[in-house]
Order: sequence, then C-alpha cells, then structure tokens
Amino acid sequence: MKRILALFLSLLLLSVSFLTLAEDVPTFDSFTLGEDYKDVTASIKVLNHRTDLIESGAITEYIARFNEMYPNITITYEGVTDYAEESVIRLAGSKEWGDIMMLPASLEADEFESFFVPFGNLDEMSEKYNFINNKQFNGVVYGIPSTGNAQGIVYNKAVFEKAGVKELPKTPDEFIAALQLVKDNTDAIPLYTNYAAGWTMGAWDAYLGGSATGSASLMNIDMLHQKSPFSDPGDGTGPYNVYKILYDATAKGLIEEDYTTTDWEGCKAMINNGQIGCLVLGSWAFSQMRDAGPNGADIGYMSFPITVNGKQYASAGADYCYAINKNAPVENQIASMVYVKWLTYESGFTFNEGGIPIDKNGEYPDLYAAFEGIEFVADLPANAEEATLPDELNAESALSLNRGGNEKVQKIIEAAFSGSKGFDEIMDEWNQAWSDAQEALSIEVVE
Amino acid sequence: MSAIQPLVPRETGRRTFHEWLLMPKVQKRLVIFAFGAVPVALLVLFTYYPFIRMVEYSFYNMSYTKVRGFYGFKNYLDVFNKPELFATFRISLYYMAGAIVQITLALYFATVLSFRTKLTSIYKGAMFFPFLVNGIAIGFIFKFFYTRGYVLDTVLQAFGIPLEKLPFWLRDTAINNWSLVATSVWKYMGQNMVLFAGAIMSVDTNLYEAASIDGANKWHQFRYIILPSISTVLTLNVILSITGSLSAFEPPYVITSMGGNGTATYFIKMHQTAHVQNKVGLACAMAVVLVLIISLATVVQKLIFKYAFRDAGTVRSVRGKAVN
Repeated sequence: MKRILALFLSLLLLSVSFLTLAEDVPTFDSFTLGEDYKDVTASIKVLNHRTDLIESGAITEYIARFNEMYPNITITYEGVTDYAEESVIRLAGSKEWGDIMMLPASLEADEFESFFVPFGNLDEMSEKYNFINNKQFNGVVYGIPSTGNAQGIVYNKAVFEKAGVKELPKTPDEFIAALQLVKDNTDAIPLYTNYAAGWTMGAWDAYLGGSATGSASLMNIDMLHQKSPFSDPGDGTGPYNVYKILYDATAKGLIEEDYTTTDWEGCKAMINNGQIGCLVLGSWAFSQMRDAGPNGADIGYMSFPITVNGKQYASAGADYCYAINKNAPVENQIASMVYVKWLTYESGFTFNEGGIPIDKNGEYPDLYAAFEGIEFVADLPANAEEATLPDELNAESALSLNRGGNEKVQKIIEAAFSGSKGFDEIMDEWNQAWSDAQEALSIEVVE
Repeated sequence: MSAIQPLVPRETGRRTFHEWLLMPKVQKRLVIFAFGAVPVALLVLFTYYPFIRMVEYSFYNMSYTKVRGFYGFKNYLDVFNKPELFATFRISLYYMAGAIVQITLALYFATVLSFRTKLTSIYKGAMFFPFLVNGIAIGFIFKFFYTRGYVLDTVLQAFGIPLEKLPFWLRDTAINNWSLVATSVWKYMGQNMVLFAGAIMSVDTNLYEAASIDGANKWHQFRYIILPSISTVLTLNVILSITGSLSAFEPPYVITSMGGNGTATYFIKMHQTAHVQNKVGLACAMAVVLVLIISLATVVQKLIFKYAFRDAGTVRSVRGKAVN
C-alpha cells in the first residue's frame, strides 16, 4: 500500500515538474519584478566587457543585491578583454556560450533572431525606454541597453581655469584656442588622444551624428546615399570638422609627446591629477575619471564644441546592450530575463556609471547639468528595407564607423604628426572608399 | 572430455579472430598503430581539417556568423589588388634583415661556446631564456622598454647621451620597425643558438685535431669543418626565420597597438580583415596566399643551399678545394 502511494505521489510530482518545465519565456514588460518567477532556480553566465568592474568587486555587489530579491538564481560573470572580437567568435563557435552577453557591435541586424531572445515589440517599448531601437529587427527588440551615453568631452576644470579659458568652447576654432591656452599656461597635456588603446580612436565616430549635425537620420539613413559625406560643409559642422579637430590638435602639438605609448589605465589618474586637460570620450568616462584619484571635484564634462545654426546638440545613444541566449535552457532564459529587468530598473547601474537611464522615469546623474540647453539626439535605426545596409556599407568601405574602425582615426594622427598627408587628402580618401563601397553594393547615390 | 582449451595462437591453419589478434607480429603492428593513432588524430583534427575548411572559406564572402555568397577566386584577386596588403611585405624585409643578424649571432655564440670556455652552461641558459617567455609578455615588457624616458632611455642616459638626442623609438617611423625587429631577435636568438650548439656537438673532435695539425686556424675550422656538418640544421633555421619574418605578429600587435604608425605586418592586416571588417573569406584567402609564398621561398632557399653546400661531406683540402 505504502509503495503504491509513494509511486502515485512521485508520478504526480513528476508531471507537475514537467508542467513548470513547459513554461514560456516572458517578454520584458509582461511580468512584475520582485513578484513573478520567485521559484525559478537557475545558474546563469554573463559575458561582459567591463573587466574593471568585475575586478573591483562592483559586480559582486550588484549580484548580492539581486540575490536578496531572487535568492535562487546564481550568476557568474566572465570578463572578456578583447570583447568586440571575441564575442563574435564565441557566438559562432557554440550554442552554449552562456546566457547573457553584450550584443556584439559587428553583428548584422538580420542575424539577431537566430541567436537571441526577443524582448518585446519596438513600438510599445519605445514609449517606456530610451535608445531601445538600437538593437532591433523587424519591429522586435533584441537588446536592452546597459546604459545610455551622451557624447561630449571630459575635462579638468582646474586646468582649464588655470590656463585662462573663461568660457567653454562652442566651435572647433574656440576649442583649439582653448587647448593652445592650456599648453601655453600650464604643464598639462591639452588633449590626450589614447592612440595606443585603439578603441579610444574609434570612439570619435560617435560624434558624427547628433553632436556634429544635430541630425538623427545621418548615420543610418542619409549617409548611405550621400556622395561625399566627409567633405567640408563650410560652416564648422559635420563629420569633416569632428576629425579636423583631432588633426589640428596633433599638427599644432597639442597632444601627448609620444602618442604610440599612451596608457589608458594611467590616463585616468593623470587627468584627475591635472596632468591632462581633456579627453574625448562618452559620458560613461566621467565617473571613472572622477573616481581615479583625490581630485574628483575637478573633473567636469562639456558638450562637443560644434554649434549647428546657433544651437548645440549631443549625440546620445545606447552603450552595449544585453542580449539573452535563445538556445539556452528555458529556465536559464527566464532567469536571464529577470536579471536584465532588475539591472534596468533596480540596480542603479546607469546612475553609478554616469549614464543616461534606460527607463524613461529613471534618475539622471548630476553631470548632466552640463547638458542644460543642449538637445540629446539619438541615431534613428535604418529603414526596414535597408536594415543591413549600414553594416554592409561600413564593412565594404573598411571605414567601420562605430564598428571598431580605430585604424582610420589612428592614421589621422600619424599623418598630422608627420605632415605626410593633408587633412583634406585624408577626407577625400574616405569619400572615395565610401563611393566605391556604394557602387559595389549598388546603392543609389543622391546629390 | 575437452577441458577448456588454452588459446594458443596457431601459426598455420584456420584460426579465430581472437587468436589472430594474439599473434606476436600482429601485436607489434597494433602497438605501433595505437601509439601513432593519437598524435595523427590530433594532427588531422587540429591542423589538416581546419586548413581544408579554411581553403573552403576562402572562396566565399562571409563573416563568422553569416555566409553572404560564393565568391570564387574574387578574394584572391582582392588580395593582389589592394596595395596596402602588399606594402606589408616591405615590412617583412625588416624582419628578414633581423633574421640574418639573428642567425649570424646564433652561429657565433654556438661556435664559441662549443669550445669549452668557462661557464658555458650559464651563458647558454641566459641566452636561451627569452625564448621561453611568452610573446605577449615580451611585447608588454618592450612597450615599457621603449617608452620615452623609461628603461632604454634611462640606460642610454647613464652612458652620457642626453635625453633630447635620443629618438622616439616607437614614434619615429624611420626606426620603429627596427625597434620591433630587435625585440624579435632578442627572443629567438637563443633558440637558434641552442639548435646550432647541438649540431656542432655532433662533429667528430678528431677532425679539429687533424685540421690544426695541418695548420688551420679557428676561422678555417669553422668554415670547412663546422659549417658543412651543420648544413641541415642551418637550412632548417633559415627556413624558420623566413617563415617567422613573413608571419610576424606579436611585436607590432602588442607594442605599437595593432600595427600602428607603419609597422603593420601581413598577419596584422589579416587579423583586422577577419575581426574588424568581418571579411573572414578574404582573410582566409590571405592566409592561403601566405602559405603559397612561404612554400615558394622555402623551395628557392633549399635550392640555393643545395648549391652552396654541394661539397658538404667530401674531403677538402684546407684551401677549400675538393680532393675527391
């Protein structure tokens, strides 16, 4: 008798567990954080590019706080240093690379649905979240931004004051003049390029859309069909003037002495100590520079020095986006969805990192006071019928704008330093590469 | 009745498969096969199979995650049409010049240290040590070595050279390739030297005595006794040096941040093509072209050495004329 009862009960339990196994993965907005899925038990792995946060223990604290709400979900992070390159190799290599990764920048939009779990409908989510159109395809969102960045320049207020810079520069000429003042009146390096780190060079591409032109459609829509996007528009705006600032600063000796041996980790302490005037990096850099030494109060943030028709704009966009492995076990997918939602709403990650909150009702850190009166412009995604064109055009032309195109910007510094090429010559080469790629891909060129 | 029969293998007549397996000569062949199977399997799995797939990929336009289309030989045409790819072979010439210096130094040290000077093992150990250090670690060491005002500059300043006269080792495009080549020579010279030293030790010492009785000095002994005897090892080292020069990767990758400032080698361009531009097919074509070039260089160099060492192994008079 007891045996029959035991058998019956175990069969019942087994069938019940099969029922829970057949659970579906929810979309991002369809469940309540802190109430639903409390019984999910899973062990998930996160591939992440922020090796600095993993090493400093900050991630461990976030996980500990998450486990207060969801104690049954175990999370391990794997930090990858060469993230942009390695992430694609891991994706291509195996279906079991982990559970959450930062969506690789070089992945083309039509590949998302075969690798990642959909988060929800683009139109519905656009009303609640910022920058949600960054990683979408066919109206479905596949990546939730980890944080939002505004593009500007991080600078040392004390150095600029000592140099005699009275007002923050608003045009390229004013900016070069300010750098010259820093060089003449202080011992600091006016502009530290971080040439050797590579990715700091490709970072200049982020200023081409909003900051340089105020246009949300330039990067993924207009530029695809433009004849010579890198030519001089004549009014101190546009991609031409973004890179010209770098060229002029190098040619006038306003950068570091030996650009080949710059030190990324060391420069954080250097700007904090007043040895560097400014760094051209996104707003995410503000908190890192501020925390790198005792003089955090000296660190300030300003908008990129280009004025379009009397108004300043700032490119704003998503940082790396979280994406969930579609081929992981269902329990893991659910746990990952819960964790990503917690990171977006409860973790305070964007605030700590000095980023724009993804949740439209989220809190902005203080540094955004620097952007008062300045309009944030986020790049629109490509039109549906041209969804993969930006990726293809950038790969074919080898310019790789916002896709790891560090080498082309390094060449600007090399040419300016050695005087081997004029700036207009370089821009003509880029225009030519762009045109050749448009021809190779049979893209219609306007104007 | 029949007890359990012992399984004694019979040499003739019909035998079962099990009995055949127990025959000594079969056992011997099995052991040879078993010991050889594992390395061969690993070789096929990790070298030949990926190579075949790579050649296959070189005919497609593809990224790691997406195949875009069949390209045929277009990738190969692209390799030869892009001028910057072939400019990287010019950089390889620097490394080949460095390789000549490297082999000369290795030969010199190997010869000198074979004649029982004091403390030979310590010298050999010290010179071999850099080869054991990982290439990336060496890259980082030398990155700081060459930074303005750091190790090299400080040492030279101690010799009385003022800082203003010292060049920027990595920034000046006239010398930055030589700086990287010096790193490579520092790393590999010890390995070449140890290989040469081993080969030199196999030379019969009686030959030296006989030659010195005939009036040969140290240089003659080197030229006519040592050099021909180690010709195979010398050929091998030259082939390795050529291969190494054409495929230099770690020094420019680590020290000058992925080949910036005019130090990009062929391998660096290949890496960028595959991982930044996502043109994996083109990168595979580049790799195949490199293999072909190295094979060609090896054949040419073997022919040259065959001619140069055609008299190796014959008896020669001290003045270099073949006697028989």
